[in-house]
Amino acid sequence: MKQKKKGNRAAHWGLVLSLLLGTSFLQAQNNFTISGKVTDQSNGETLFGTSIFLQGTDIGAITNEYGFYSISAPPGSYTLIFSYMGFNEVHKQVVLYQNMTLDMELVEFSTQLDEVEVTAEEPERAVLRKPEMSVSKLNIKTVKQMPVVLGEVDIIKSLQILPGVTSNGEGSSGFHVRGGAVDQNLVLLDEAIIYNTSHLLGFFSVFNADAVKDLKLYKGGIPARFGGRVSSVLDVRQKDGNSKNFEMTGGIGAISSRLALEGPMFNEHGSFLIAGRGSYAHLFLKLAGEDNSANFYDLNLKTNYNLNKNNRLYLSGYFGRDLFDIGGSFSSSYGNASGNLRWNHIFNDRLFSNLSLIYSNYDYELNINDFEFDWVSSIQNYNIKYDLKYYFNDAFKLDFGVGTIKYEFDPGRIKPTGPNSAINELQLDKKRALESAAYINAEHKLTDNLTAQYGIRFSHFNRMGGQPLNDYLDDRPLVYNSTLRIYERQDPIGETVYSKSESIETFSNFEPRVSLAYQLNEFSSVKAGYSRAAQYIHLLSNTTAVTPIDVWTPSGKYIKPQLSDQYALGYFRNFKDKTYSMEVETFYKTVENRIDYVDGSDLIGNNTIEREILSGESRAYGLEVLLRKNEGAFTGWVAYTLAKSEQRTPGGDAGGPGINDGDWYSTPYDRTHDISVTGAYQLNEKWSFGANAIYQTGRPVTYPNGQYQYEGVSIASYSQRNADRLPAYHRLDVSATYRPNRRPEKRWKGEWVFGIYNVFNRKNAASISFGQNLETGANEATRTAIFGIVPSVTYNFKF
Amino acid sequence: MKPFYILYFFLLLSIASCTDVIDVDVPEAPPRLTVEASLDWERGTTGNNQTILLRTSTPYFAEQKIAPVLGASVRVTNTDSGADFVFEDQNNGQYTTSSFIPVLGDTYSLEVIYNDELYTATETLVPVSTIVDVFQSTEGGEDEDALEVNVTFEDPAGIENYYFLRFQSDADLFPELYYIKDEFIDGNDFTIYYEKIGDEEGDVQEFQPGETVAIGFHGISKQYHDYLRLLVDQYEFAGNPFSPTPVPLVGNCVNIDNPENIAYGYFRVTETIKTQYTFE
Repeated sequence: MKQKKKGNRAAHWGLVLSLLLGTSFLQAQNNFTISGKVTDQSNGETLFGTSIFLQGTDIGAITNEYGFYSISAPPGSYTLIFSYMGFNEVHKQVVLYQNMTLDMELVEFSTQLDEVEVTAEEPERAVLRKPEMSVSKLNIKTVKQMPVVLGEVDIIKSLQILPGVTSNGEGSSGFHVRGGAVDQNLVLLDEAIIYNTSHLLGFFSVFNADAVKDLKLYKGGIPARFGGRVSSVLDVRQKDGNSKNFEMTGGIGAISSRLALEGPMFNEHGSFLIAGRGSYAHLFLKLAGEDNSANFYDLNLKTNYNLNKNNRLYLSGYFGRDLFDIGGSFSSSYGNASGNLRWNHIFNDRLFSNLSLIYSNYDYELNINDFEFDWVSSIQNYNIKYDLKYYFNDAFKLDFGVGTIKYEFDPGRIKPTGPNSAINELQLDKKRALESAAYINAEHKLTDNLTAQYGIRFSHFNRMGGQPLNDYLDDRPLVYNSTLRIYERQDPIGETVYSKSESIETFSNFEPRVSLAYQLNEFSSVKAGYSRAAQYIHLLSNTTAVTPIDVWTPSGKYIKPQLSDQYALGYFRNFKDKTYSMEVETFYKTVENRIDYVDGSDLIGNNTIEREILSGESRAYGLEVLLRKNEGAFTGWVAYTLAKSEQRTPGGDAGGPGINDGDWYSTPYDRTHDISVTGAYQLNEKWSFGANAIYQTGRPVTYPNGQYQYEGVSIASYSQRNADRLPAYHRLDVSATYRPNRRPEKRWKGEWVFGIYNVFNRKNAASISFGQNLETGANEATRTAIFGIVPSVTYNFKF
Repeated sequence: MKPFYILYFFLLLSIASCTDVIDVDVPEAPPRLTVEASLDWERGTTGNNQTILLRTSTPYFAEQKIAPVLGASVRVTNTDSGADFVFEDQNNGQYTTSSFIPVLGDTYSLEVIYNDELYTATETLVPVSTIVDVFQSTEGGEDEDALEVNVTFEDPAGIENYYFLRFQSDADLFPELYYIKDEFIDGNDFTIYYEKIGDEEGDVQEFQPGETVAIGFHGISKQYHDYLRLLVDQYEFAGNPFSPTPVPLVGNCVNIDNPENIAYGYFRVTETIKTQYTFE
């Protein structure tokens, strides 16, 4: 009942808004509306991004995340065209003389399952016209066809072969977008925040491809409905579950196996999906003669229930865990958990709404058995948001909404585990914060050729009390010692205790987002965009690659929110009847208040992080080119990125020159050149092949510039930060998929996927370390390569 | 204590990886003065005999890694008592005295004149705690079958203490260095183990019966602890992706005449317990 009330209040708000804004669209009032939902005929999944056009006009729409669309047009007879990648186009005659509802089911090109037919990501005419830019959409089918390491389909790795997206090397977690850091990506799984995207330190992504419907990565031009991170948004949506038939899919691989069940529920009023994955990598490690084990599992759940034509409930959940053990002396486990309850409500044929209640949690646990103690840490948040979409008319659509997130940070607790433990119990100060936002965004067709998207997000962050904070002389927790030329931690001069009802600090920001698309002709368009974004929570990590035990911390007295401004300009073109397409974009992005860690910083178990950091700025700029062949037996793309990503951290209030003498230095994820070529070839009904080739400039590193003897060992001296580079990274992967003869009457359908990762067995340096040969004492450089050639076989089935 | 996120790297290595030695071109900085001024007063001795080592840095891959400094002048002063100790040049990079007088809690300053530039440093003689036990075991450590030597010491409660523990096996070329702070163990008996885990290449071998390990246990200042922490972590882990970007190590030997040209190394004054253990 409570929800209903809320919904009604919001409906009033929507109506007031439409009255206020609607006056300027009076001429549109003669129009009628066609609205409805588009689904996949085979399993009832809603289709996000279906384009619907009135033939012979410019009037059209794209379905939203829930498959909903709404089109307004003057009365008359029309042919509606529904098109969605990989599906047959549907032409539907309508006579429009009143508002009408039209739900549509689309049929896949090939009724045979998993027959991959990669076509354009989205019908190109829509891409050209929509101001949406800097967006990478990947069809889960395209992802499934790429060759993968260890035979496990990996969404994150697939993103990394698109322009502007890189990893920080093999075996490192997360991903980097347009020179941004891992913690600057907002990763959402059914709207719930995912804090760690990797299993087994980057070998697998946390997303089970069998449970995912689609994903969208916003590299720039982030829509106003998203906020909280300055670099990108990865929006992953789980499948709703097959609402027509019971279905089972699964796969058996060398490292992991998975199984998904889905089917109709609630007397055809809903559906469910349960998907699980688990690795048996511990076997693999034990066989290698190690006393160590590493493994992971995860579980995806989703169900939905149709209350009636205008109301639908969704419940989704995710639970994932990684488990490590090193010879019994050290063990660790960590993972995300999230849940989301959503209520879709269609007020009328123009106003669509969604209310979400979301919980998400990331926590880790370390057991250091040698010293008999446990270490636990977590971040959790509760999120409520209400989003509305109002379709005024063909030329004007409005998104608006409000949301708030309550965070609880537990940076760490140490607990002795045995009577003989020498470790004292310690709880670091827990932190609390509230992040709220309201936004409004319009998609506005200004002329036949010019479409604009403009909006604003207002965000507010309240770092709540309920904890003590140290006071420092002159509010300086860190001071430069000009004699020793180092930053020195200051001793606190006192402590202020903030009660739970007090705020330690509050921040608010207006975040304008604007983009324009100008269609030059039928084949090409130019787009430009500007966006500002604020980020209020930060991942504390002074290591080159983020680790699973890095801790999130909120902005407050000593850490200011990060603010980014990004400008982008792009040219988009289709060739040869849309068989080929080209996207060229340039971007320039700056981030204020990016923290970095002073030389010798120590973040472990540290209650006073303010004594380890300085606040700086970062900037990144680059050019991205994507050339794609969208149709035919052979499909694929070439992606090239030329970019620079660097940061600068002056001394500020702490005095002194800052980090790296206050000069700009490359971020660890700066890659000058990044080229990927991906191809897929469908030989016949039984065989298809895929290949990836990747070349990247090496990661910036700091090499020694000399050595000296101290305590009987050779100590390296270092100078400029990240001034050197690892050797360039490159590799070639291939895959082949074999589908045995299938009798149409049989429900069981299987396929074999054979893959070879790094065909040339190139030893790409994941790192180079410098040390002394234990026998000769000579200094030497040691290269660590994570993956040589890795063959894999996976058997996938569907029933 | 070691940063435990490093353990993830060992895990990563054990999952799938290979290592090999390669040729790398590294930058080359001009040589700099390196001061290894470790005035360690061994408990139970007079502490009169002390040596300070002066050398210069060399290119990273230089074959001759020890470049002694000759002709420098070296002096240590007790700034509390005013006592002065001149260290004599032995013409091999060593500067020695036999008249040093250690006083717990007193502050000492070092003066080195080299190439007409004056370097100075100041430190306090820090007392050390007591070693309660030194023993061997197999069940502790990362490998349940390998021998390890354990050192248990008492940490005094209520005061900040920092320690440096140095192991040197007579079977090995290099020592094993540990830095310890009492932040998480204040007031407790604490045991540190040193275990060697054999690797496939045979570069490292487990402790064998008969092998002797020399143990040095020093009480150190917070500043020296912070210096050592960075030195040891960078020595052992620099370059691996789960460690911080390596940075210049800054000791306490300041160049008065040319502040940019700071010396490498450190001037420490510690109380020390020396012992040794032979595996049975």
